[in-house]
Amino acid sequence: MAQWQEVQGLANTYLEQVHQLYAGSELPMAVRQCLAAWIEDQNWRQAAEPLSSHARMLFHSLLVLLSEQLGSLGSSHEDFMLKHNLRKAHRDLQAEFEENPEKFANLVANLLQEEQRILRLGQAGGQGGSSPAPAAPPERGREQQIQRRLAEFHTALQEAERAFRHLEDLQDAFDFCYKVHYQPGQDRIRDPQYARQLQALQAKLQNLDQQRREVLAQMQQLLGRSETLRELLQQELGDWRERQQRSCLGAPVDTNLRPLETWFTGLGQGLFQLRQLLRALSDLRQKVTYERDPLAAETPLLEQRLQEQLTHLLKSAFVVEQQPSTPNPLKRPLVLRTGTKFSARARLLVRLHDRNHRMEATIHIDRDPPKVKGFRRFNILTSSSKTLLAGDSPQEGLVCDFQYLTLKEQKDSRSGKGSKGAGESPLVVTEELHLITFTLAYAYCGLELELKTSTLPFVIISNNNQFSSAWASILWFNMLSSDPKDQHIFSAPPPAPWPRLAKVLSWQFESVAERGLSQNHLLMLAEKLFGSKPSPESTVAWHKFSKDGTGFSFWAWLDGILGLLQEHLKQLWKDGLILGFVSRKQERKLLKSKRTGTFLIRFSESVLGGVTCTWVEHPESGGSPTFHSVDPYTAVELASLALPDIIHDYHIMMEENVPENPLQFLYPDTPRDKAFGPYYSQRQEGNLTEPEKYLRQRLIRVSSRQANKSWQTEEELVAATENLETLQLQPRGQGTQWDGGLALPQSQSPGTPQGVAVSPGTLQVVATSPGMLQPGALGTLQSGSQCLEPPQPPQVGSEVSEVVVQVVPNIQDTVEVALRAVGTIQVLPGGVGMLQVGPGDLGTLQVLPGDQGTVAVDTGMLQQVGTVDTGMLQQVGAVDTGMLQQVGAVDTGMLQQVGAVDTGMLQPRPGAAEPLQVTEGQGLLPPELRDLELLPRSQDIQELLQSLEPGSGTLETLEVAELMPNMPESLDGRPQLDPGLAGAAVLLGHRDPFLPQPEDLALPTVNSLFASTDFPPLHVDASDFQ
Amino acid sequence: MGQNSGHQERGKKPELALSETMEAEAEVQSNKDEAKELKAKERRLTSVFGVADLKNGAIGLYNLGQSCCLNSLLQVFLMNIHFTGILRRITVPPCAAQRRSNVPYQMLLLLEEMQRGKRKAVRPTELACCLSAHRVELFVQHDAAQLFLRLWNLIKKQMKKLELVEELSDLYTICVQEHLACQNCSFEIKNNSCMLTLPLPVLDSNSHRLKTLEDCLQYFFHPEELTGQNMCFCQQCGMKTPFLKSMKLVYLPQTLTIHLKRFCFEKSSYTHKLSHYLPFPRDLDFNGVLTENQCHADDNEKATWQYDLFAVVAHSGSASCGHYCAYIQSLTERKWYCFNDSQVCQVSWDDVKCTYGHSNLHWGETAYLLIYMKKHPQQPYPGLSECLGKL
Repeated sequence: MAQWQEVQGLANTYLEQVHQLYAGSELPMAVRQCLAAWIEDQNWRQAAEPLSSHARMLFHSLLVLLSEQLGSLGSSHEDFMLKHNLRKAHRDLQAEFEENPEKFANLVANLLQEEQRILRLGQAGGQGGSSPAPAAPPERGREQQIQRRLAEFHTALQEAERAFRHLEDLQDAFDFCYKVHYQPGQDRIRDPQYARQLQALQAKLQNLDQQRREVLAQMQQLLGRSETLRELLQQELGDWRERQQRSCLGAPVDTNLRPLETWFTGLGQGLFQLRQLLRALSDLRQKVTYERDPLAAETPLLEQRLQEQLTHLLKSAFVVEQQPSTPNPLKRPLVLRTGTKFSARARLLVRLHDRNHRMEATIHIDRDPPKVKGFRRFNILTSSSKTLLAGDSPQEGLVCDFQYLTLKEQKDSRSGKGSKGAGESPLVVTEELHLITFTLAYAYCGLELELKTSTLPFVIISNNNQFSSAWASILWFNMLSSDPKDQHIFSAPPPAPWPRLAKVLSWQFESVAERGLSQNHLLMLAEKLFGSKPSPESTVAWHKFSKDGTGFSFWAWLDGILGLLQEHLKQLWKDGLILGFVSRKQERKLLKSKRTGTFLIRFSESVLGGVTCTWVEHPESGGSPTFHSVDPYTAVELASLALPDIIHDYHIMMEENVPENPLQFLYPDTPRDKAFGPYYSQRQEGNLTEPEKYLRQRLIRVSSRQANKSWQTEEELVAATENLETLQLQPRGQGTQWDGGLALPQSQSPGTPQGVAVSPGTLQVVATSPGMLQPGALGTLQSGSQCLEPPQPPQVGSEVSEVVVQVVPNIQDTVEVALRAVGTIQVLPGGVGMLQVGPGDLGTLQVLPGDQGTVAVDTGMLQQVGTVDTGMLQQVGAVDTGMLQQVGAVDTGMLQQVGAVDTGMLQPRPGAAEPLQVTEGQGLLPPELRDLELLPRSQDIQELLQSLEPGSGTLETLEVAELMPNMPESLDGRPQLDPGLAGAAVLLGHRDPFLPQPEDLALPTVNSLFASTDFPPLHVDASDFQ
Repeated sequence: MGQNSGHQERGKKPELALSETMEAEAEVQSNKDEAKELKAKERRLTSVFGVADLKNGAIGLYNLGQSCCLNSLLQVFLMNIHFTGILRRITVPPCAAQRRSNVPYQMLLLLEEMQRGKRKAVRPTELACCLSAHRVELFVQHDAAQLFLRLWNLIKKQMKKLELVEELSDLYTICVQEHLACQNCSFEIKNNSCMLTLPLPVLDSNSHRLKTLEDCLQYFFHPEELTGQNMCFCQQCGMKTPFLKSMKLVYLPQTLTIHLKRFCFEKSSYTHKLSHYLPFPRDLDFNGVLTENQCHADDNEKATWQYDLFAVVAHSGSASCGHYCAYIQSLTERKWYCFNDSQVCQVSWDDVKCTYGHSNLHWGETAYLLIYMKKHPQQPYPGLSECLGKL
């Protein structure tokens, strides 16, 4: 029926052909129409064979059905004509074919075949336009071809089954006749009737033999076609494997296994069905056999061939769906770490299994380890076997999912400890490739097989710092190796053709930040690698890629950038705001013609994982433009302040000028705020009419320009002078949160407090160890929060020491900090702001009230920056130069005060107001401290400070209220945490002793601190920070 | 299409001897086509060739008992319009007994039965009987290459018209010139020989697999040094000397049969089938495969050495038992068919490619005979004798 319906749906030109076909046919179209379904269901070809009784049976069935149709027709007008036509057809057919039903069967068979042909033409014509060109895109084409072939295969299979049943009937008939009529004996041999019967028997046998051969030929044909289908599936699977390999490298490709599973299952099912049919066929031989029985000769051959195909299909259908991987932020599979959990999953694409039979899959690592001396051996610690499971929904495949696997290195008992000595193995750990093999004991319908599949090679590391180079090996392997079991590739690593490498590198960026590398980027990278423009034949050696380089290799550099992108610059990169890979030469070329203040963002070539801005300045006097670059920002800097904010607030200090932001236009000419506006971090704008509780604070970055040098270095902190350059290093110890470490590393150190908070209820002043500045100590602080070395006690008064003092009040209320040889004091209100005070030659005082403000004081310069809403307050006091600069901005305005040398005399005012407020207002101070107005130690320190710079005056942090009389509320230094800042405080953890705690306010600590005349080491329990 | 018009221009022989049934069939065909303008061209061709060559809907041949090999070869012969063009012009033997034992005549009858009946398949009983009378036994598994030679020789022998014999030779015979050159002196022996198939080894002398058909051809025509035990007697030197044996291609026929020697005799008694992967091209240009000094022919002749694959006779199974089928590209429809005895189905190049073989599949179909057809038959047809005459 389906066929006839399809025929009717053909385009007119093809329909015309159908009409022609039936015009000259003895089978009227009316009959075809009214018995469509039945006609298509019969095997006319079969019936058309000579000596077949089938044809007569079919012919008569047709006539009977036709009569029935006639009877069922009503008496309406349309039916009248139809009735007439059918009756006529009935009569004609009977007259024409009664004697020769085979001819009729042949006629119908040919008609159906011809219909199919026209149908094919029509459908091909409909798809391919005018010409049935084979120019379909190969990918889509293959998919369609597989679908079509699969459908054809199943149709042919059904036909074969039908033919088989017919054969069974024939055989039964023959068997019966044989048993009845065949009576070997002398007496009847002359009986003519017996002779006739024997003849008929002989004819039946002949017919049976032919039918057997026919079925066998059908099987041969089926097997041949299924071979092609399997071959096509194999190609698809090969493509999928390639895609998977690429997707492991980060390429955006589709690795869905569903279509493949459907096809594999379809073919597998068909082959199993065919296998059953073949068995039944050879069983037929048990009942009737004769000389030269084709079944005897051919079925074993067919069975062998089928078995081989089925085996081959199943073997290739067992695949690793998920390559071994550990969760990691860069989404890089195939790098495993000892002791860390990983997972891997294999899947059988032929979704046929016996629910009553459990199939076990096991895994082995390095089944056939390469014969390399020193090759590490590992054990899989968790269970290595699992049952192959089918999910309940049809979407889920037949999988064995190994999760929570861990690896442990085997200790070689002979060589004992440290078997993996340096130089013992020719392979570096990160170049040593391992494999996991899945083995499945498959059993279905009596077929038992051992199926095996292997993962892609992976690298096993024992420390995270090997991760990057391990990934480089994985990249190299998957980019270049065609043999997924080639564990030896790094004994002689092949060079990578540049075009391929370029693609792979681009994928890295695409997978990390959803934007690949442009042609220009790749050109810059190629020039960096080759020193010149690349040709398509250029190749990169493994050594050059992963090992050579001054300081760090090409890959280490690139991976540093990837890490930076992943952590901090994802969005900017994705949105194309970072030009990224631009050589200095190119950079100049790009910026030369742009107006002053045009800048671009690129990755540093000299710093690992650094990003920098370069801008152009055209001197007013004319002449060639100058280009300036900021010292590259790394993850450390970006952790405390995001790049858009840095750009927004970036200022440059010039001796004679007001600080200004030189970054005006993002290359080519987008105004800065337009380009970066959406990325600025949320400011707490607040309600302007509502009185603010606290001044807002903001951290900004400022560079100073030196008069004699053409360019300056960039500073980490708000203010810096040339002799403070060392400070750039300092903050690396703080605020950087390497893998979930502490916000305040200094709190770890039981350093001696050197700063004294005037308001004991509000502030805690803790000095950390010296040596923050020293590279050694710095390293420990960076590397991991959990293993800070206990710092040495501060070297009081020493020139080289630097002490970082953290003052953690809620706000910037009067804070007096006195230091001896202190480098920096940081005030972190609510955990975000910063106060840094640096006396002597080093140091800065920064007060970061509220969220964003900054106050910095140093001996060279006192600078106070307080922000109210969007405004900015800046106070700069230079003690030795005798300059006081106050910049106060309220709301949108800006106030700037510059004091001369003599006005720089500041009286020490140890913040008398706050303690009083605290004691009276809140009653939170212990009674013995209630009347405390001046802290004796702080007095000492002030004296000390004064003695440091005799005659230069006293250093004091001015009350904000004095500077900004219109903001009296800011005086309300409350001991409680501002609820609005609670979010920020989370950073530190509510048990952080440096945070003012609403309930205990850390007074006992203060008490103990100041009860004795010495500076007792502050004891901090490390567990507080876990 | 180009192929078709090519044939027409050639205007092959006017004295076409259509049998009566053929004529009737052609007429029916013509009537049917009358309405369709599209088929006007085919109709003209019909008058030249007869129905079978144009409408040769691929018709199956019933297996009579181990006759898959014969059936495959018959299909290769009968689907070849160049061959049937010759076959149709044979003289019908006068008496019935002769007719029964005349192979070409029986083949013609079979061809007509196939084309006339519009049946799915035909039983080649008479032809099989006729062949068994010529000691081509039934119910025996034959080797396709051997059977091809026997069939061809029988056909040639029983054709009475000389010009047809000559045409048949032109159509199938390959001519090469063998050179044996003494390495000590300038003595050289030349020897022309004709063959029906190029028997290509699929392994080189070190039993390494050759990668492609082109490699096999190159290896086949590669000069061989005869040293040591293989030294030949040189008349000029008067002693056994090392010789260089080389082969030069002189003439390639319209229908070129290549025999892939996919069997090796590991132990003297046991024949082992080589089922490894060996791809063959769809179009083969001998000028690109052989070097200048591996040919001995003029440029006109060499220009015609461009071939399209026409048919593949594939074998599945082991050396001792197996099954043959044929993949044939209909020269008129340009479509591939697969003939598995009575089962015929249209296939695609992908199916043909599956006969390249596979080292892990020992029971699958592997190409055994490759039949290539010249792309552009040269005009005027330079016969084999002409080429030989030039030597």
